[in-house]
Amino acid sequence: MTYPITGTGAVAAIGADPGEIFDSLCAGRSGLAPLKAFDRSRYRAQQLFEIDDRPNPGLDEPGRAGRLLAEAVRQAAADAGLPEDLGGIPVLVGTGLRELRSLELWWRDGTVFDADRLHFENVLRERFAAVDTHTFAGACSASLYALALGWDLLELGETDTVVVAGCDVVTESMFGQADRVQFDPPPSVRPFDQDRRGTILGEGAAAVVLTREAPPGRPVRGLLRSVAVNCDAHHQTAPDETGVEAAVREAQRHAGVAPADIDLVVLHATGTPLNDRTEATVTARVFAGARPALTGIKSLTGHTSGSAGLLSLIVALRCLEAGVVPPIAGLAEPLPEGSTLRLVAGEPLVTPMRLAQVNSFGFGGVNAVAIVGGAA
Amino acid sequence: MTLAVSGVAVALPGASGPDALLRPAVAGAGPVDPAALIGRKGLRFKDRATRLGLHLAYAALTDAGLLGSDGRAVTGDRVATVVSSNLGNADTVCRAVETIAKDSTAALSPMDTPNASSNIIASETAIRYGLRGPNLTVCNGRTSGLDAVRWAALLLRSGRADHVLVTGVEPDNEVTRRLVGGPVADGGAALVLSRTAAGEPRALLGPVVRTPQPLATVAELTRRTPRGGLWLSTDAGPVPSGAQRVALTGWGDLSGALGVVQCAAAVGWFAEGGTRPAYALTGTAGAALLPPGGAA
Repeated sequence: MTYPITGTGAVAAIGADPGEIFDSLCAGRSGLAPLKAFDRSRYRAQQLFEIDDRPNPGLDEPGRAGRLLAEAVRQAAADAGLPEDLGGIPVLVGTGLRELRSLELWWRDGTVFDADRLHFENVLRERFAAVDTHTFAGACSASLYALALGWDLLELGETDTVVVAGCDVVTESMFGQADRVQFDPPPSVRPFDQDRRGTILGEGAAAVVLTREAPPGRPVRGLLRSVAVNCDAHHQTAPDETGVEAAVREAQRHAGVAPADIDLVVLHATGTPLNDRTEATVTARVFAGARPALTGIKSLTGHTSGSAGLLSLIVALRCLEAGVVPPIAGLAEPLPEGSTLRLVAGEPLVTPMRLAQVNSFGFGGVNAVAIVGGAA
Repeated sequence: MTLAVSGVAVALPGASGPDALLRPAVAGAGPVDPAALIGRKGLRFKDRATRLGLHLAYAALTDAGLLGSDGRAVTGDRVATVVSSNLGNADTVCRAVETIAKDSTAALSPMDTPNASSNIIASETAIRYGLRGPNLTVCNGRTSGLDAVRWAALLLRSGRADHVLVTGVEPDNEVTRRLVGGPVADGGAALVLSRTAAGEPRALLGPVVRTPQPLATVAELTRRTPRGGLWLSTDAGPVPSGAQRVALTGWGDLSGALGVVQCAAAVGWFAEGGTRPAYALTGTAGAALLPPGGAA
């Protein structure tokens, strides 16, 4: 089945809603900035793509992931014309790092916190009176994974409407572990470039409302054709071509589309040597003979972890609607494995499009791939 | 579609099988030793929750007859992994932030990097046993274990998998104790849920529900699966008076493992002759389980 997406919401370092984020991507505005609240003397790396929402600049506070989540869900629900009370509607949240930043502040600084705040049940109940809420910790593909489960709920008739979201703020433990092994931190994120030097984390939240049937008169933001999920079962942190390719082919098969039908691929494209090489190799193989436009958003948003997949999907819907594809910022010379690919670089590409594929891969080899169509 | 519980495993101090859950916890029992069951190989640098998870996965997959002679799942493409754990990597995260504050990132161990990600138990389980189906980590608080069972059932009914390994596991350490304000159960349970069991199923899975209130969950469970004979519930409040109840206290806070341990206890009850449905209840989440041949 194909299900309409009737609402979208998002926040990132480059914008406070999907429109602002898309405009920033097209204009090449980056959210990369010096560390806002971590002690800079502790790290080699000095930059992140943080959201500037701390009331006291330089002072960190608990609960930020939940706050970003609530804002994205609020936007999506409003866009879909849902009431403020989401009591009867399941809310599924995919996240890489849950409220682990709050846990860190509790352990290190003695900030008030309890175990029931590690997940997002309380935030969603307090803010939206939601009762059927679910937090999935699924590394960097978590929100697209959650979308697959949302799809299943509709497919099996368990609900008529579902809100699917993703959110993450940066933890010092994850940033620090990356810093430990990144001896020469990258000055910027350059996905699919031959000189790419790694990724930089970002913060963000994204949400969509997925329904069985769009209410009459409501605008439709796009159509979800399929979401495939699998696991490489290969390595803790390194991706695997076999698993990634299986997820891509399954998403296309389930949507009933051929590679040549797809006009746009929003890549996972983290800017790490290994992810981009693997993704480029698989993309070149799957799309041999087809020429979809390829883009990615992480050079400007950073790697927003669990929210990344859904953020890419919302950008894909904007591309289909506007007939515009923002370029991969920072891409000068494509990596050799991507030499045959139609990577959008330099200026936005203006072209009519109907179908998009969205890639999202995570630590532990968790792969999720979605196919979406334009509303028109 | 009636789903089968085709395999089960329990790993708690003094409890290595479902039957032990029906009796009081053994005082002074030593901690579970995963290396004794699955060997030391590959356990170095794994956190405690992951080691316990690998132990439970091995035992449950073996019980379900899904492991080949090479120790990996047959038809791994069709086997999904769902893990429920709220506290699994809390100690890794807290120790890292403490180390950074005292020193710098240079003092961190690079081997901890994968453990900073909350899906480490599920991904390590998939890697070790070759489970290439959907791989999900549920961190949903008190209801997490039964929620995991519900999502596993959904993955089977939607056709994304033929078998799902559901593991509920929590580690006991200084960080988790402080976080929940008392001892934490150092272990958990695992189930294999299947569209069709390879051998004789251990139980059948009935409805898995969530409602706004525990009493409404009880009403929904008993309406859809009447005449149950056993309640697995820490809280006596919502359970009908006079009904047989097993609280499963005595192992410490089971947190995200609770719902899965409850389902394992139901399997133990059927093995000991229980012929009526059993209900698992955790807050607003509930599940009904039936004996292998259906309810009497």
